[in-house]
Amino acid sequence: MTETTAPVAAGEERPSLRQYVIRALMPIVLVAMALGFAAVEPRILSPGNLVNILSQSSYLAIFATAQMVVILTRGFDLSLGMCVSGVSVLTALIMTSTLGKDPATLSLAMGLAVLAGLGFGAAVGLVNGFSIAVLRVNPFIATLGTLNICFGIASTISDGRPVFGVPREFSTLVYSGELAGIPIPIVLSAIILVIIHLVLHRTVVGRSFFILGSNPRAAMIAGLPSRRYLIYAYIICGILAAIGAMLLTARTGSGEPNLGGNLTLESIAAAVIGGVSLRGGIGGVPAALLGTIFVTVLSNGMNLTRVDGYIQMIVLGCVIIAAIFVDRIRATRG
Amino acid sequence: MSSITGHEPVTGMNRLANVVAVIGLLPILLVVIVALLVIFEPRFLGIFNVFNVLRSASFLAILAAGQMLVLIVGGFDLSVGAVIALASTVMAKVMAALMQTMPDQVGVVILLGVLAGLACGAGIGLINGLCVAFLRISPFMVTLGTLSIASGIALLLTNGIPVYGMPDEFVKGFGRALWFGLPTTVYVALALIVLVWVIQNHTVLGRYIYAIGGNLQAALVSGVATKSYLVTAYTLCGILAATTGVLLTARLGSGQATLGGNIMMLQSIAAAVIAGVSLRGGIGRVEMVALGALFLSIITNAMNLLRIDSKVQTIVLGVIVILAVALDEFGRRRQIRD
Repeated sequence: MTETTAPVAAGEERPSLRQYVIRALMPIVLVAMALGFAAVEPRILSPGNLVNILSQSSYLAIFATAQMVVILTRGFDLSLGMCVSGVSVLTALIMTSTLGKDPATLSLAMGLAVLAGLGFGAAVGLVNGFSIAVLRVNPFIATLGTLNICFGIASTISDGRPVFGVPREFSTLVYSGELAGIPIPIVLSAIILVIIHLVLHRTVVGRSFFILGSNPRAAMIAGLPSRRYLIYAYIICGILAAIGAMLLTARTGSGEPNLGGNLTLESIAAAVIGGVSLRGGIGGVPAALLGTIFVTVLSNGMNLTRVDGYIQMIVLGCVIIAAIFVDRIRATRG
Repeated sequence: MSSITGHEPVTGMNRLANVVAVIGLLPILLVVIVALLVIFEPRFLGIFNVFNVLRSASFLAILAAGQMLVLIVGGFDLSVGAVIALASTVMAKVMAALMQTMPDQVGVVILLGVLAGLACGAGIGLINGLCVAFLRISPFMVTLGTLSIASGIALLLTNGIPVYGMPDEFVKGFGRALWFGLPTTVYVALALIVLVWVIQNHTVLGRYIYAIGGNLQAALVSGVATKSYLVTAYTLCGILAATTGVLLTARLGSGQATLGGNIMMLQSIAAAVIAGVSLRGGIGRVEMVALGALFLSIITNAMNLLRIDSKVQTIVLGVIVILAVALDEFGRRRQIRD
């Protein structure tokens, strides 16, 4: 499809009004949806709820960004949710066990836990990347395998039960605190998204993710160390998942072996709804963010208008299909 | 390599590799594992244990056969687990309701209930197929959407509470019954596997399904009505998933919205992939997929017998799936080199 549209894009002709509309379709739908909900329930546009939506989005935004990085390379990561569970349980366990011995070592305990969490995420990413890039296992199967492995690890080390006793200081630090009046999760999430955006557009590694996805053969012929870069993509995904997991752990105040349950599919849905193409090579942080806000507004709006939880599942399913369809139209005619 | 060096000395390793290449790794592994289990774990051959293994292998084989059809056309079906739940609840609801109105016509009740369950599968499969073929949406996202829709409907219908009230003739007379000393499910699974085998090997439909997956462009240029065959493949997958749901429900005796789920969906893909079905499309044989399902069921059963913790079991399964595909990929590259 890109071949047919390329000449138009490269030509002198200015994009027509129709093309503008098609490009702006998702934001327009988002605004229309928010206004529609507001018509039923005015509280939705209240400042308090808007901040609430942003805080809720900040977690999913990190996961959707993680997913977006590997989707750019024509892959995806099914293990993300279980990796989140693993990191959550692991960090909580390390904090509680270190503190149990000596309560004075608070910052040491938190530091160790954060390092271990990041290490776990990076390790999962490394295994995924190695299987996919070097063993050439299809991303679906490779990450399906690590999904099982992470699930096993998370439920083994926690015995399937939540790990309580995460120090309150940790929660204050990365959940309930504020920086210049803005909730900490929003600040952290914004910083991370900006960093990833810069990595994707200003570094060789980041830019090559796009080429790896849009034309892997060209990347190879051009002499890019494709395997190494693919592994980097999955490690970045794993580390981002770990960061998100620790933020969520701070929010719940406990290590939860079921924390990641639906996160994998939600993060893929958010990224793709925002316009990240599963065929690889198309996407970016803004797309992941747009999709995240879309999903969050939808579920927040349905919650406030008291839509039954089961019906919400059905609506989300329809929205996913509709959004992908819209994205296809945008890709072929935009 | 051998083409360059001419006659390579036939070493033991080479001969072994050739044998493996001819028969395939999976049947050999299967025989080895069964032999080991028979020698070291006498409980494996206990009649109830054998029934258990055969039953779970049958459920999985039917589901994986459907998944295979979709994989061959180069797609995916994430919704099969949710279809199981939907078929289960709808069938149980229909049967329970009909039993109230016409308790003396059990045969009709069962027939209508089963048809309603299968219709759910056909419906979801049809939606999947239409979206993939005509709207050209990625199969991953379509079936992710219908997964959410189907399990939402199943939960909405039941509120998450099991649905009882199916006729005894269906549960005790079919779901839990033995025919000629074997669970009924086994016969149904065998019949369906044979049916899919016939479709794959002796019908135009089967050949076109391979053709579409092998090279969509070539199939299109050759005048194959690719869209209608794509829709057919997804619909068949939905119906097979619904059949699994019907059989599971008959065995359990109640319709449950938690049946199937993501675990069975992932297992169905794992069974197909272990059996050499290519995720790139165009390759896959149903008899191997049935062996793949049997293999997964036996491994799970063996780990249960050896009292391996269920959490560790998932780790083992994950490693097995990755290894199986890595080996397959390695074998293919070796073949290309030769």
